[in-house]
Amino acid sequence: MKSSSNYQHLYVVVEHEDGMPVPVSLEMLGEARRLMDGFNKKYSSDEKVVAVVLGHNVRKLCEELIFYGADVVICVDSPELQHMRNLIDTKVISQIARSRELVAKFSNASEFIKPRYMFFAADSIGRHMSSTVLAELESGLASDINKLVISDLEIKHEHKTKGQSMKYEKTLEMYRPDFSGFLWTTILCLDNRNPANEREYHPQACSIIPGVFAQIERDTSRRGAIVEYVPKFDEKDLRVRVLDRKIVKSAVDFDSHKAVVSFGKGVKDSPEQNIKLVAELAKEIEAEVGISLPISKKPFSVSESTNSNYMIPDRVVGTSGRKVAPLLYIAVGISGAMQHIAGMKESGFIVAINPDENSPIKDECDVFIKGRMEDVIPLLLEELRKQRPTIEVKK
Amino acid sequence: MTATTTTTNDLNVAVIVKLEPDFSEGNVSYNADGTLNRAETKSILGPHSAIASNAAFYAKVKYGARVAVGTMGPPIAESALQQAQLLCDADELHLYSDRIFAGADTLATAEVLRAGISKVEGGKVDVVFSGHRASDGETGQTGPQTAWKLGYTFLGNVVDYNVDLESRLVRAKRLISLQGFYDIIEEVEAPLPVFISIDPSYKAFFNTVSQRLAFEKYQKEAKLRAENYKQFLKVLNTQQLGIDPKLVGLPGSPTIVYKVERIPKAKASRKAEVIDGANREQIARVVSNMYEALGGMVIK
Amino acid sequence: MEHYDVAIIGGGSAGLAALKRLSDLNKQAILIEAGKKVGSKNISGGILYSKKPKHGKTYNVEDIYPGFLQDAPIERKITQYMLHATSNDKIFTMDLTAAHEYQANFGYSVLLNRLNGWFAKQASESAERQGGGIVSGVHVRSLSWQDEKTVIIETDELEPFEAKAVIAADGVNSEVAEMTGARAKFTPEQLYQGVKVIVKLPEEIIEQRFGIGPDEGAAHLFAGDITLNHIGGGFLYTNLDTLSVGAVYHYDSLMERPSEPYTLINALLKNPLVTEFIKDQVAIKEEIDKNLPKEEQLRTRFAVSKLIKTWNELRDTYSSRDGRKKLVESGKYKSEEEIRARLDYVQNELATKYDTKFVTDYIELEYGAKLVPDGKRCAMKKPYYKNILFIGDAAGRGVFIGPRIEGLNVGIDDAVRAADAVARSIDRNDFSTHYMGEFYSQSIEESPYTRDMKEIDKDYLKIFLDAARDVPKDIIGQRYGVVFKLMSSGTLRGLAVGFANILGYDRLLPLVESEDTYVQVPIELAEKMGRHVRATYAPTIPTIAQRIAQLKYDDDRISHIKVLHPNSEFMKKIVTLCPTLCYSMERGGEVTLQHEACIECGTCAKETEWHHPRGEKGVIYQYG
Repeated sequence: MKSSSNYQHLYVVVEHEDGMPVPVSLEMLGEARRLMDGFNKKYSSDEKVVAVVLGHNVRKLCEELIFYGADVVICVDSPELQHMRNLIDTKVISQIARSRELVAKFSNASEFIKPRYMFFAADSIGRHMSSTVLAELESGLASDINKLVISDLEIKHEHKTKGQSMKYEKTLEMYRPDFSGFLWTTILCLDNRNPANEREYHPQACSIIPGVFAQIERDTSRRGAIVEYVPKFDEKDLRVRVLDRKIVKSAVDFDSHKAVVSFGKGVKDSPEQNIKLVAELAKEIEAEVGISLPISKKPFSVSESTNSNYMIPDRVVGTSGRKVAPLLYIAVGISGAMQHIAGMKESGFIVAINPDENSPIKDECDVFIKGRMEDVIPLLLEELRKQRPTIEVKK
Repeated sequence: MTATTTTTNDLNVAVIVKLEPDFSEGNVSYNADGTLNRAETKSILGPHSAIASNAAFYAKVKYGARVAVGTMGPPIAESALQQAQLLCDADELHLYSDRIFAGADTLATAEVLRAGISKVEGGKVDVVFSGHRASDGETGQTGPQTAWKLGYTFLGNVVDYNVDLESRLVRAKRLISLQGFYDIIEEVEAPLPVFISIDPSYKAFFNTVSQRLAFEKYQKEAKLRAENYKQFLKVLNTQQLGIDPKLVGLPGSPTIVYKVERIPKAKASRKAEVIDGANREQIARVVSNMYEALGGMVIK
Repeated sequence: MEHYDVAIIGGGSAGLAALKRLSDLNKQAILIEAGKKVGSKNISGGILYSKKPKHGKTYNVEDIYPGFLQDAPIERKITQYMLHATSNDKIFTMDLTAAHEYQANFGYSVLLNRLNGWFAKQASESAERQGGGIVSGVHVRSLSWQDEKTVIIETDELEPFEAKAVIAADGVNSEVAEMTGARAKFTPEQLYQGVKVIVKLPEEIIEQRFGIGPDEGAAHLFAGDITLNHIGGGFLYTNLDTLSVGAVYHYDSLMERPSEPYTLINALLKNPLVTEFIKDQVAIKEEIDKNLPKEEQLRTRFAVSKLIKTWNELRDTYSSRDGRKKLVESGKYKSEEEIRARLDYVQNELATKYDTKFVTDYIELEYGAKLVPDGKRCAMKKPYYKNILFIGDAAGRGVFIGPRIEGLNVGIDDAVRAADAVARSIDRNDFSTHYMGEFYSQSIEESPYTRDMKEIDKDYLKIFLDAARDVPKDIIGQRYGVVFKLMSSGTLRGLAVGFANILGYDRLLPLVESEDTYVQVPIELAEKMGRHVRATYAPTIPTIAQRIAQLKYDDDRISHIKVLHPNSEFMKKIVTLCPTLCYSMERGGEVTLQHEACIECGTCAKETEWHHPRGEKGVIYQYG
């Protein structure tokens, strides 16, 4: 078994657009910082949080990342890397992950093989990038993670340990919420210690859900190293050409609305009618309409226009969708899965409409209206119309 | 008779699909603890796999492409292949099935799929389609990892694509969503072979009369074929696929599921007032609070 | 640009017949249909006739589709044809079966969604062999000419393509006619508005109730107070295991005194004879005890729903000869008695365990409406424009003689004539109006249907007179006096009819098609000579909102109709006359449109910019 110093440091693959880091990149650095501070303390070591940045004209960005928790920033600046292209980016990131030369610039690299841990963003780009990078590095990946713990575990697994109980130190526990939002599955990336098939698997990698972890406060007193890397390109690697990029306006705009009305599986008794009711309520208070994650999977049969208008990923409020913080948030027929709560708990005034008093959302709202939406919303509408302020409300 | 249609047999495509639980209302069944009751829930061709099949059908209608569909799974996964054939008039169906494939994570699965795609008759596959993710599992990793092992250029979140048969290029539109930023539609061009992960919003669209007629023709053919799908089916195990047993199934999986637990109820961050939805007075009061929240003073 | 010899626009029975005929003549033809599937936008009364005219020849449906009588999903062969005069609960019935059989091989009740689906299968198989076929989900947006010969067709969905000839089969609201200016939009005087509902009724119950055998059917017509003083009448046709119940009224009579279409059909449904005709046994779920734990409530709800579904299915199957046979053959049940036993068991379970009530009521499956062109008043004299030939409703060729309405068979006959004209032109590569349009026009002139639109057939007239034999002269004679005397006498009748035909149908029409004929006379007849009919229950009639909710739509975000004159008198009446309440009046008096519930009948077409929705969008009929 190779020594522990073969695998060191936590590499964070940073995403950026228009010279700015995508918020999840800073969130990843924040969590990486917290984890590694704990790690270094517990194991008396000095492993680093290494940010990896690919792009063009990204020097300024790299400097910022130090202030947000990176110890080292590996900066790869090349016109070929201006837009993220999976093929070339995977190659470069993998080269970097395997480069002992690079590590030598900021740490003792004599036995370095690959990073110990690796973080990616769980968004359009990162989810695919993490998959291909880990295929290239031939190690394990867990995606859509919202909780991380580093610990020493006693593992007894029919295959990994041939049924014996073995200690795996410095294991990254990667927690991912399942599709219902109520269960956590913990994934581990573990070496095979079964003599029939011994194999080491590093880095332990995961893609992280945006909006879950907190960034650290920007700290200009932090110091770190920026290491340049000149990538080796093969003509073949550049074979994908970006012809055009167009910004698309989403039909859904939470930010410009003072109120949001969301609905969940509680519409199931008569989805078409109930969604119309919700839409009416939203219209009355000039709110944008949101949905819970399960609704975006189109679990009910409704008309084509309701389907394409409402049951779309753009409307999802939650960690897999948008985080919103309007002045008024109304959750209709939503039980309150953790993912959804995380997406709206910063709202000003929260009202929940639900017939079941045991719904978790009761602990996250200011007013819990017990009742079926078919009965409550019409009543609300009446009162809203009656009480509609006759003078423009002050902002 | 002057309708012109280009039907060269120059394009070979494959689709990788998955049999998944049917999550739609009325079909899905949950246990008391909220976990999926797989025994009571019907299994169907996964919705994203279906969209990928539609994308492959587009290639058949527009370019006369040869279509193969493959899946890794136990014998019941055959029904996913049959349903896929109905959608894309597949010429060849593969079931990669072997006891030792069990317990595979995405890397181990990708190894099997890579080997399977190389066994497609009719020549080297030019385009492989996969869905965006499975509706159970949902990692979205298997597609890109299979692409990488095949050495095919990976294009993800594709919402539209076309093939230039002469110059052997694919032009595709991709939908990129960045948190906190706008959405971007990116148009890319890549030489064949490519691996396309289809965005859930993809809709195949045929815009000439001849394509529509070809669509009808192939759809009818697909119905007939799917009724006799077994004639098109090949079942392949480890040996026939020529893969190293150490790289598949549980032995070939870097990751394992360690535990599953209920997400603990977070400490209540707010103290809710519970009111009766039928009580008009209370509703009226809530409404007044709502208006207050929306914007300062409410003047009647 | 892609190029095809012939493009047929509209996938109704006429368009499909044209496609079949052209393909059988080895010509390549494509058919463009706006609905997602052929049949989804079709609706008819409906009875499909096959005729054997004394003079001339008609192309009948079984001539075009050889397997028609054996394989087509037709409903029942109508063997009884009754006319009822109504006044409250008094009904006077006249047997007009002779009128139904006059010069007819048969008349079958039909449901167009499935029938046109069958036509489409036959036609497309034939067409595909010629390199043509059916393209659905495509809406034609414009037609233009590059040169005299070639029509360029633009659609909402496809790249433009060319055709040498076009057959316009796009119905009474023909957009092709509108776009090309081939004819003016039809006006209310030229149209009827028909509205109908499909009622569910198990097969053998239909047979018992209407006194017909398994291969027979009944048609019942109604005039009198059920018309709410409009010119026209009601109908009820037996299908295999459903009834088509509807009403058809002169559009201009509706204009004079607007009534909501659903009100008109409700008036018919409430007539005691009709009420008794449509009745069935219906299962009513009981409210679930809210005090039970939630899981128990849910489990009960699903259990009851499933049981009721089983009960309905078993009942329908048991009531069908074929159904019973198939069920026993499948091995699920050893005998028909066993099915009965199971049915009784399920009913008992529902009643005792879940308190389900079984009451007498009726079940509606689908509501729909359509405009029908009155060929006597609006048939196109020259049904072509450049190299476009118009057939069926698009050419205004509906045949109304008394209570009998023929549209489907006329469209099919027109289609064959048009197809033959186009085929002839393809052979000569001459699509000029002289060679093709005029030839077609001439062929149409020779059609017995055209004659029916221009002249009164004295032998047909005699049938009515004979049927009215028992009617006291004072009721009819009072109104029609001399005319009636003339008509009653055999010798004079021939002269009289000849004279009338010279005078012109249109002079005579106001007399015949008047409130007297459809309202007053029948009411009097019923009052004086009718028998009492008692309804044994009060039918629960769905509201218009419920009827609309039952319809299936694929909504388009953009509206397919634009209101041009929001303040006109016509539009104000449309608020009442739109069958699905799409129009409403704002406070300022303007009429506004909500297009989502539109069933594309065309009632509002005259003063709007009227189109069908884009391809695949709009209403999707299940029965038609």
